[in-house]
Amino acid sequence: MDSPSERSAEGSTSDALLEKLREGKSALHRRHSELALPEKVRLVMELQRIVLPLIARRRPLRSWERPWEIEP
Amino acid sequence: MLSAMAFADTLRVLNTMKAEGVVEEYAIAGAMAIVFWTEPVPTFDLDVLVELHPSAGALVSLDRVYRWAESRGYPAEEEHVVIEGLPTQFLPAPDPLAREAISSAVKVDYEGVVVPVVRPEYLIGLYLHPGARTAKRRERAAMLMELPTLDRQLVDEILRRHGLSF
Repeated sequence: MDSPSERSAEGSTSDALLEKLREGKSALHRRHSELALPEKVRLVMELQRIVLPLIARRRPLRSWERPWEIEP
Repeated sequence: MLSAMAFADTLRVLNTMKAEGVVEEYAIAGAMAIVFWTEPVPTFDLDVLVELHPSAGALVSLDRVYRWAESRGYPAEEEHVVIEGLPTQFLPAPDPLAREAISSAVKVDYEGVVVPVVRPEYLIGLYLHPGARTAKRRERAAMLMELPTLDRQLVDEILRRHGLSF
């Protein structure tokens, strides 16, 4: 069984890891926000390919719900 | 291989619609407006808030928009018109909040095409409108509240004037 000091050290390691993950996520959001508009549209198109199969698993797709075949 | 159609082509068509009087005013709204102001979010269509020319005694109708689109070879798909490959939904401004959102829209240059985009402060108001409130929309309003450049005083004023809240 872990001693209280070992549990506390474990707790602070997870807190530090969570904090690091949160910071990483915020930095990614910031970087995405600062992208040039065409680059953002390109990312929207990437997201479309990622989320479409997930939506299709939940409900029937509407006819217009498909990845855009355009230049950003 | 990608086709020759480009996002900017769709925006150019919106400006043509205004120039030809198909719509009186318009502004990009919805998820693509969020993309203009903050980070990319998944969406499959382009929402366009429009003010239409009043027609004699008739209810607000998008008939003119659909007829124009058809004459240009842009097919309708359910409630969307596919303009240069992009499903585009025209949403008539139903109330003062939406009309203000259009009139206060900011002109943004996208690859040489200047388009009005609904300000984030008004997007928050539109997302919190009781008639359109969903979990996803509340989430998007919350996301916009994190914008460092957001005019919080304006958000408060919009919410107060239009009786909206989180």
